[in-house]
Amino acid sequence: MRFAILAILAIGLAACQSSEVSRELGARCDTSSECDDRCLMPGVDWPGGFCTTRCETDLDCQSDAACLEEEGGVCAFLCTSDPGCAFLGQGYGCKERDARGGAGTRMVCRGA
Amino acid sequence: MSRSLIAFVGVVVTTGVAHAQDVPEVTPPSTATPADSGVATNANAPSDMGDQGIAAMLGVAGGGRSTPGGLLVAGHYYYQLSDQDWFDGSAAFVFGSGDAECFRDRMNVTLCEHGLASGYAGKLGVAARRFMPNLATETFWPFVRAGLGTALVRFPDDDITGITFSVQVGAGLRASLTEAIALTAEADLELGVGQFSNGLGGEPQLGVNISAGAEFKL
Repeated sequence: MRFAILAILAIGLAACQSSEVSRELGARCDTSSECDDRCLMPGVDWPGGFCTTRCETDLDCQSDAACLEEEGGVCAFLCTSDPGCAFLGQGYGCKERDARGGAGTRMVCRGA
Repeated sequence: MSRSLIAFVGVVVTTGVAHAQDVPEVTPPSTATPADSGVATNANAPSDMGDQGIAAMLGVAGGGRSTPGGLLVAGHYYYQLSDQDWFDGSAAFVFGSGDAECFRDRMNVTLCEHGLASGYAGKLGVAARRFMPNLATETFWPFVRAGLGTALVRFPDDDITGITFSVQVGAGLRASLTEAIALTAEADLELGVGQFSNGLGGEPQLGVNISAGAEFKL
């Protein structure tokens, strides 16, 4: 009986888990078909590849992301320090970059 | 899950091929009234429930993550096991959206975050349906059901195929319309595991099925 309840709880919890990244923003990728919109290819700038969405302003990105003035405008996770980017894995840090459309700068997670 | 429920499912699975006539206490179904025939009626199940029946059901399956969901079309075959229990064999199809929802997380592990109504499935199930005479009226008969199921699952845009095994528990209500036709509505919870292709591997399965349809005496 106890085993059955534990098994049900374990399956239920596992079935409800979610990830901090998604096809929209942050998933690893090698091609854009792995993302909802586009893949920033693996390299020094985006280690492991980085799924993102095209944008013109911060409002085009999810609430914890900003629109950067690179690659024609892409979303990246906002941060305040390097540890805040640890969930993206090795090679990611918190860097200051220009916001899209001359809207100042943003601290975002990315590689070099 | 209580011990009695587990025992109930076990009995059903092991006796699912038994013939109704093998059970001595089963009262033969009759269209005649007790007064006409002198045969005792079965007080533990609907009087119009034959020893065999079929049903066609339509409903919705709620899935998520790697559990398929969408429009549910199901067929059932009922076979009497005792005066209160029927074997319930089912075949069902689930039609959801085919959108790609799988990705690799930062640990390079493939995850799927499909919505409530995503994917396709073909399902087979064996279960037992037990009527609850203490809650029944002349027309409406509540029942509980429990059983096991397996399904072939496909998420086309992710190019992911899998096979799943689940335990199903549920309840429903059967309403007699005529001597040969009844309306049935039921809801089931499915809990299990699946093995999927394309790097997804083993995944838990958690879904809800709600359906309604017509039941025909054979």
